[in-house]
Amino acid sequence: MDVRNRNPIPAPWLELRAFKIEDPLERLRYLRCEMQKLEAEERTRNSWRVPIRPALWICALGFFGFLPGPRPAATGEIRARTAPGAAASPAPAAPESFRPVWMVDRTDTTQTYSNGLRIDLTYAVSNKPRLRYPVFATAGPASPSSYASLPSGIVYHTTESHLAPFEQQQNGRLKELGRNLLENIRQQKSYHYVIDRFGRVFRVVEESDAANHAGRSVWADSNGVYVNLNWSFLGVAFEGQTAEPVTPAQITSARMLTEMLRARYNIPAGNCVTHAQISVNPDNMRIGAHVDWAAGFPFESVGLPDNYAEPVPSLWAFGFDYDPSLLAQAGGRWPGLDSAEDRLAAQAAAQGLTPARYRTLLQRRYREILKALDSPNSAASQGGN
Amino acid sequence: MSGNDTSQVLGLDIGTSRIVVARRAGQPSPGSKEDWRYESQLNAFVNIPFSKITASTLRQESIPHTIEGQEILVHGNESERFAGLLNAEIRRPMTRGMLDPREPESLKVIREILTRMLGPASPGASKVCFTVPAPPWGDAAGDLTYHEATIRQLLTEFGYESSSINEGLAVVYGELQDSNYTGIGISCGGGLCNVCLAYLSVPALSFSIPKAGDYIDASAARVTGERANRIRLAKEDSFHFNGFHGDKIRQVIAVYYDDMLQSLVSALTEAFTHTSNLPKFNRPIGIVLSGGTAMPAGFRDRFEALIRQQAFPIPISGVKLAENPLYSTAKGALACALSE
Repeated sequence: MDVRNRNPIPAPWLELRAFKIEDPLERLRYLRCEMQKLEAEERTRNSWRVPIRPALWICALGFFGFLPGPRPAATGEIRARTAPGAAASPAPAAPESFRPVWMVDRTDTTQTYSNGLRIDLTYAVSNKPRLRYPVFATAGPASPSSYASLPSGIVYHTTESHLAPFEQQQNGRLKELGRNLLENIRQQKSYHYVIDRFGRVFRVVEESDAANHAGRSVWADSNGVYVNLNWSFLGVAFEGQTAEPVTPAQITSARMLTEMLRARYNIPAGNCVTHAQISVNPDNMRIGAHVDWAAGFPFESVGLPDNYAEPVPSLWAFGFDYDPSLLAQAGGRWPGLDSAEDRLAAQAAAQGLTPARYRTLLQRRYREILKALDSPNSAASQGGN
Repeated sequence: MSGNDTSQVLGLDIGTSRIVVARRAGQPSPGSKEDWRYESQLNAFVNIPFSKITASTLRQESIPHTIEGQEILVHGNESERFAGLLNAEIRRPMTRGMLDPREPESLKVIREILTRMLGPASPGASKVCFTVPAPPWGDAAGDLTYHEATIRQLLTEFGYESSSINEGLAVVYGELQDSNYTGIGISCGGGLCNVCLAYLSVPALSFSIPKAGDYIDASAARVTGERANRIRLAKEDSFHFNGFHGDKIRQVIAVYYDDMLQSLVSALTEAFTHTSNLPKFNRPIGIVLSGGTAMPAGFRDRFEALIRQQAFPIPISGVKLAENPLYSTAKGALACALSE
């Protein structure tokens, strides 16, 4: 029998979303693109799932042995019956090409790059070196699935510091505030880079070291889930406040800095995200513990896709929730929250669990991971192991 | 071509009996309806003996033709008229959805017809998405590689960046927007009936059966002793289902039409019954019929009646005829090109 037969991934959540797109061509483009992503995701998962299925069952059994609670068998289903296109990592992006950016010149206090970027090293400081950090699978045991040692992404912040009116008469005050801010950030080792309001780029914490910028945080890509991103992601802060627009000079510099960092570490565009997107509060299991750049980050101007559309991994991978105040901060709409909720619901349905029950199991796994990360002797602890 | 310039994006349906080109009339303004234009030519030719007078007349009348030694090949829509005038049989560059390996003029004629319809590509990249048939149901010998590669090469020579789409899927893209490109598209053409089941734009199952318009024409011609071309004209002009036919030709056409429909529905039932891993649909899905062979009045009703009689393995919400059956495949190919 010679027929062309494919087995499309069931994606009821896509169907609902596609119906909201009025233009038929746009809807077709959206569906083709999203279904291709799902297929790529499925292929990746199948490439490792089939040969090691028995091992997975053993791991799963071990994993549930750890779990307290009355229904370990139910969590077992999460591991064994991964929802198609659901509990997996985001689709592996096609290899991205990066325009080469190289260092043109350097002195003791500056570096100049081929794309026009100029970095001031006056405030550069060392911190704990990043030897390796763990990456976790999207389901399964609380132990890392792999380790990495180079930065995997960029987190954009605002400094939420005092600001003077951005006027020529205020030049002295503006410079003084910037200087004080940099001194403070240097002491706290808060970010790898700061872009002041004049668009000047300052390196603070060395790229080879961790910075204290992300605390409790979660993001994911095709390699797995990153938890507590101080080690795995570089922190770039705009001098500014959430309510105040950044200056055009800052955006120009952010574009050049992003381009340089992405080229240097092969950072996928999807891993360039804002603090509000990654920040979580394990005490109440809600996201948005920090809300800088909950809305309005100029992704396009910085040369990135609109990553607010990315399903928020803390929701779909670890069952975090959010309250309406976060949505208000985001201007009433955050597509990534909707798509993460859809994804979680689909995963739960595929497991035959209610979303509430499934969320509970995901949250339990997150706490196990967090516990392992916080344990200094654990293999999952970060930094120097 | 800039990212937004879609004026040089074409949908091309290369069928056994017709070639149809779809193009955008212009850049639609937001919220306005798409204005797509279609051009159709018969994928056929007749050869007539060469003479200077004939060649000169054809040139003066702007009738598409090619001079090949002592023969003149008249192709496209005009071939039908000349076949009638000369009482000659129309020849086809393609058979059963693919280039006919036994027809020595096939490539030449296809090239001529496409040259006239498409013209050279504009400077810079121009995109065309062309249709290809699905492999035949139950016939592993169907090799589409040569056909697809040859068409692609022709388009590349014209300067186009080309991609291909399965004919049945093109029907889904052209007609099933309202169901999120989920459902069964069937193109009943001259050489083949192409079937595709799609889920959210992804083809899940596609195949073809070799009984279509040409089968009806050839079978009826054999029985009646008429030329197949005359049968085709009778079929396209005035044939309809559910009626009494006073003349023998239409009676015979009705018999073979019904045979074709029975074969199509049987193949559908068998394919969907015996194929594992078909997607699970949470609601009944629709079937859309297109192609010249689906145009006679009553075709849709007869098809639906046959489907309802079978224990069809997938719940069907309804059967509809494409808005414009001759153009829906080209329309889907254009939608495919524009949505890439």
